Amino acid sequence: MKKTTVGLIVNPVAGMGGSVGLKGTDGQMHERAVALGAEPVTPRRTRDTLGHIARWDEISLLAAPEQMGAAYLEETEVPFRVVGEISRDTSAMDTKRIAAQMIAQGADLLLFVGGDGTARDIYDAVGTSVPVVGVPAGVKVFSSAFALSARAAAKMVDEFVAGAPLTEEEVLDIDEAAFRDDRLASKLYGTLMVPEVRSSLQPAKAASNVSAPTEEVKKDIASFIVEKMDPETLYLLGPGTTVRAVADALGVPKTLLGVDAVHGGKLVGEDINEEDILALFERYGARKIIVTPIGGNGFIFGRGSKQFTPTVIKAVGRENLIIVGTRHKVNRLDCLRVDTGDLEVDKMLSGYTKVTVGYRQGMMVNVRC
Amino acid sequence: MLNLPIRLDRNEVPFDPPPHVIAAARDGLSQLNRYAEPEDLARLRALLGDYTGVPDRHIILGPGSDFLLREMIHVFAPERKVVMLSPSFLPTVEVAWERAASWQGLRLSPPSFALRPRLLVAETCEPCLAVIDSPNNPTGQITLTRETVRAVLKNPDVLLVVDAAYHEFAEMSLRDRMSGGGPFVKLVEDYPNLAVTRTLDKAFSLAGARVGYVVAGDIFREAFASFYALLPQPSLHAAIAALQMPAYAWENVDRLIQERERVRETLDDMGVCVYPSVTNFLLIRSELPDAALRLRDRGVLVWDVSNQLPPGFIRVSIGTRDENEVFLDAFSHIGEKGTAATAQTGASR
Repeated sequence: MKKTTVGLIVNPVAGMGGSVGLKGTDGQMHERAVALGAEPVTPRRTRDTLGHIARWDEISLLAAPEQMGAAYLEETEVPFRVVGEISRDTSAMDTKRIAAQMIAQGADLLLFVGGDGTARDIYDAVGTSVPVVGVPAGVKVFSSAFALSARAAAKMVDEFVAGAPLTEEEVLDIDEAAFRDDRLASKLYGTLMVPEVRSSLQPAKAASNVSAPTEEVKKDIASFIVEKMDPETLYLLGPGTTVRAVADALGVPKTLLGVDAVHGGKLVGEDINEEDILALFERYGARKIIVTPIGGNGFIFGRGSKQFTPTVIKAVGRENLIIVGTRHKVNRLDCLRVDTGDLEVDKMLSGYTKVTVGYRQGMMVNVRC
Repeated sequence: MLNLPIRLDRNEVPFDPPPHVIAAARDGLSQLNRYAEPEDLARLRALLGDYTGVPDRHIILGPGSDFLLREMIHVFAPERKVVMLSPSFLPTVEVAWERAASWQGLRLSPPSFALRPRLLVAETCEPCLAVIDSPNNPTGQITLTRETVRAVLKNPDVLLVVDAAYHEFAEMSLRDRMSGGGPFVKLVEDYPNLAVTRTLDKAFSLAGARVGYVVAGDIFREAFASFYALLPQPSLHAAIAALQMPAYAWENVDRLIQERERVRETLDDMGVCVYPSVTNFLLIRSELPDAALRLRDRGVLVWDVSNQLPPGFIRVSIGTRDENEVFLDAFSHIGEKGTAATAQTGASR
């Protein structure tokens, strides 16, 4: 039987800011965290994860050197092979380089331990070409591409080995400087492919037999939206994979992280900015925006969104917003959020609003600002 | 020492039914070769009529209120929009997803989890079936007032089903009243478009007997005219005996409410995010997304609500004092590495 090759990459400094109140260790903040006496949190998360993986017999393990992987394996009996080299102070470059080397050496899955920044490095290195499992060890991890816990990550590895389906989950670009300033600002940075695992915790009575895989639900949402589309209306498609499913259903290309425009079922604007959007408004009267909340903190419009500016949102109007999101995603949110930078617009958007969560399925959700 | 695992995941009442109810169930066992007698079924309906204060023609019996809820969704949902709360009792929600012409959830958000009456009234201004649990499971909160119910029922094209499985706990939590009537059931005489589902599973300690009932307005009565559930003999006899002397149910409820408040206050003192409840369970928000799994490792089963609420939400049923102590001990240690063995130590203390 062919073994599944798993590559382990650990960001040894992820999560260190938390105990010293720094909210993240991007850039030079790591050195400040160390100066303040921060203890590393990744070793325990890594050991927890490794300790809960059951299918070692079916896994061939690659590990990054020293504190980026190998150090946590030496106390186990799991055989592994070291990939790459690192210097004393590790950096994002090490993560990216070693991830690429592991892929070149046949890794079927990357198991990484870190925070949102680490996920972005992994995305930069591999995109959606290889599935990953992310173990959360950051100060505050927002990207939905992460497992909920070390143990959940171990289960995802096992399920991947057993042939679980894959789903595309978000990597967020959290502005750490803003976060340190107690402002949440995030935008979609990219997506990673992750194994889809159903909760194994619930007893049989709750075992869901009607919940379709996430990718199917996105298609259902898209079919419903496309059925209701008016050929005379201009549709601005926001970032995210659920909105991309709408574009797929229409048969038009979609910029994953950007805004595209559709009219009469045809693409009339690709990766457009505010200026392009306002120009389109000159040509088309009726207009709607289709957006999906960014996972984790539920922003439908955040400061990071350089296309859907307050001017654009005002010109479209609250009643012309179409919000889409899988039930799974919506259920994980406390509420939807807006932070456009314009208080008047934020107030206009707040209150209960409908989110399309499936084919002919909606959810009234509160928008807070 | 308690046997592990401790089941605090199914909202069962931890107390045994009283001897007269057990004896009646045994009588029923001796008639296992026979179907239930129509007179016995009529007797149970009459007792439920007395208990609820509603003429017994409005009572429909079934094997568990969740079964009856699903039947109503099967009958009424295929041609209607269904309006439900989110979160709510998942098996019912899943049937609605499958069967409804369309589905509209109303999201209850932390920290209040309140249902805005205006939102419900606005969503039910067109023909639809609204299935609303009050108290809500898993939040443990009352979601409907009499005024809201009347406002919804004013539209004759709206069918409203209130899932009131935990009604006895709410009644005693809120008003210290000891009637079985509850706030809505009597409205079925005035509103043909109202049905209230209830159960003997909870307050009456009869989860294993599975006796549920609908207090049904005329539209529901007519639709269910041919629905004839012959209850199992032990369940039927136990239910009759329970309702002949129902005082024990109120004692159960009273004890559990006191215990619930003790557990809630203890958690509160520990700095845990725990929400107020009018039921026999508590909703807790842990900072650990895998709190339910960690509790299981320590021998305590709780309900993981993370498929309907953000990660870290768990629902814990109120058990006996000893069981709750094991839970509290386990919960205070879930941030640490541990196994069921540590929970056992806690139980023997």
